[in-house]
Amino acid sequence: MTPANGLPASKLAEIYRTMVRIAACNEKIEQLLATGAAQFQYYPCRGQETIPAAISMELRSDDYVLTTYRGIHDVVAKGTPMDEIMAEILGRMTGTSKGKGGPMHLSDPNCGLMVTTGIVGATLPISTGLGLASKIKSSGQVVICNFGDGAANIGAFGESLNMASLWNLPIVFVCQNNRYAEYTSFEESTRMASVAERAAGYSMPGESVDGTDPNAVHAAASVAIERARNGGGPTLLECVAHRLQGHSFGSDETHMDQGRLAAARAPTPIQKLRQSLIDLGVGEAEVAKIDDEARAEAEAAVADALEAPDPTASELFVDVFEDPAAIPYSGGDKPIGQEPDLSTLPTERINYNQAINQAFDQAMASDERVILMGEDIADPAGGVGKITAGLSSKYGTDRVLATPISEQAIVGSAIGAAMAGFKPVPEIMIDDFLMVCMDQVANHAAKLRYMSGGRTSVPITIRSANAGNVGRFGSQHSQSLETWLAHVPGMKVVLPSDPIDAKGLLLSCIDDPDPCFYLDAMRLYYNEQDVPTPAYKIPLGVAKKRREGSDLSIISYSWPVVECMAAAEELAELGIDAEVIDLRTLVPLDWQAVKSSVAKTKRAIIVHAATEFCGFGAELAAKLHEELHGSLAAPIRRLGAAYSPPPFALSLEKHHFPTLEGILELAESTAKYSG
Amino acid sequence: MKITLRVPKSAVSSQQGQLVQWHVQDGGIVNAGEPIYTIELEKSTLDVEAPFKGKVRRIADVGETYPVGAPIAEFEKLD
Repeated sequence: MTPANGLPASKLAEIYRTMVRIAACNEKIEQLLATGAAQFQYYPCRGQETIPAAISMELRSDDYVLTTYRGIHDVVAKGTPMDEIMAEILGRMTGTSKGKGGPMHLSDPNCGLMVTTGIVGATLPISTGLGLASKIKSSGQVVICNFGDGAANIGAFGESLNMASLWNLPIVFVCQNNRYAEYTSFEESTRMASVAERAAGYSMPGESVDGTDPNAVHAAASVAIERARNGGGPTLLECVAHRLQGHSFGSDETHMDQGRLAAARAPTPIQKLRQSLIDLGVGEAEVAKIDDEARAEAEAAVADALEAPDPTASELFVDVFEDPAAIPYSGGDKPIGQEPDLSTLPTERINYNQAINQAFDQAMASDERVILMGEDIADPAGGVGKITAGLSSKYGTDRVLATPISEQAIVGSAIGAAMAGFKPVPEIMIDDFLMVCMDQVANHAAKLRYMSGGRTSVPITIRSANAGNVGRFGSQHSQSLETWLAHVPGMKVVLPSDPIDAKGLLLSCIDDPDPCFYLDAMRLYYNEQDVPTPAYKIPLGVAKKRREGSDLSIISYSWPVVECMAAAEELAELGIDAEVIDLRTLVPLDWQAVKSSVAKTKRAIIVHAATEFCGFGAELAAKLHEELHGSLAAPIRRLGAAYSPPPFALSLEKHHFPTLEGILELAESTAKYSG
Repeated sequence: MKITLRVPKSAVSSQQGQLVQWHVQDGGIVNAGEPIYTIELEKSTLDVEAPFKGKVRRIADVGETYPVGAPIAEFEKLD
């Protein structure tokens, strides 16, 4: 029997089956917690089961879904096997992520479940990248981006909806409005009556439906999914479904409107649909069978999960990077890579930013998966310093995407596209702007491989410019933030100091299976060198001995290397033979190059443009003292930026950054140190 | 199969729970989904239900406070 204006009973029964499977899964998890068999923070989905159950009716298995920490219902509905879910939430090796992700980070790319995030609002930027990938490939894949009403008030929401609209991406933004953002009600968070009406601000259709009504959710989702699949662009679909419990398992409910809560619970959406099915003539026995099968599935899944093994200690370092040898100090005496012989290659005299441009050109010519996105990068602007000049004219604005000023969406779009098989290079114009997208960089790009147990990866190259010490750029355009990134496991950090490296390291980053942060230096943009013309790669994790010496090691990277080389020449005139080591990459770290140099010279200074306090030099100095303590002839000394924000006035700036004079003074005193 | 029912951890900061009431006698049998006991946690009160049909052996005492993870009952599965 088919009701007027609604789905036939058979379709509603399918939705009901998904809902009771979700409920059974949720109930089993709560049972594990209530009986003390498991202990973790859990955010139940009761009340919201209808939403993914109805939406998933219209999804293909290769459509993408992203969800949040309150997302078990989305995961079950997309098709992730329940035994893998249960094993993951119990931290077992047979879980979706080998126990490394847990309930907040379920992912199963086999069925299109790409991300479950613990960060409110973070699904939105990444969804733009999955949508972009689908659009470029014309694959017809649709992205369902789930988030809560709380996330509608976070900056990533605006950036992502704007970008999705601008680029006409195949995304359905599903706001699951459960009326509470943690402990704060919807009304206390916004003056707007609905989230859906915000769609108008982004020129996209917006609709708000009763998220407990399977017909309403299905009807609205069908229209939005069809629109996305057929090139009609994104939709903001708000599904209002009152939460049936407090924020997390065991948390209080005093912040909730008790009248509304009671109304939402009596009856629950599942009880309501069950009654509808019976009213439509589906037999009680048939409905009971669906209930029993769901319960049995969940019980079997828990039983299997409880028997499954824990991950062993050796698993700790697996999936940080594709190759665990990239983990600092993990390599022993084994070098990570080999310095290539470039001597036979034809060269041309170009400067540092032309070398970067050439790397992009060659990478894009040889691999159509390479795409660029960033502010002002398309012609005629061609990027800051003209680094990307000519590329959009040559490869089209579908591959060289000029973006709005939306750093979270820029990095998120790259992450999503990378997860879908592209090799994106998002540009953050200046290093300092990294702060506004740090969540996407540190919590997502760097960690998704690990949190998914290696089932997803994010091969992006975030390119940014360090504008330090070019003169009068001030406190918010001159910082060197590489140490922040080196501190996040999972991110490679690359800082070329000359044109040859700028090209060869960038080509390595673009093809690297892991996220790389490539920080070039404006101070070096117009330095020229004879650069090999064909494409070549300089491996990540191989330091370069810029000058051989026996009295003192000077360890540096990025633009200060130039000052260190000048210092070494002056030191030679004083009879001090300095060795200069250019790290080139902080992660992977060529520890053997550093250690063997200092073991030989017994004296070292470390020079960088980042704040000396807690800078990368502190790490190296500590490690050198740990391993070479007995043989050092002088304490390891550091020279970094002074402990002040970079000042504007040149008279101050010259005291802020390391200078040739400062390096000379420190090097000479270290070389002459005799206790 | 026999499992031990323990004081749950209800939030990141929760440390303990107080047993409020038994819903079944020592040695009593409950069906799946029926409450076994009520425990007061730091922010909420929880009826702990039987995960399957089974026989209860009481361990903890009503009115006493126990740390997270402490045993409240043994629960033996029955067919």
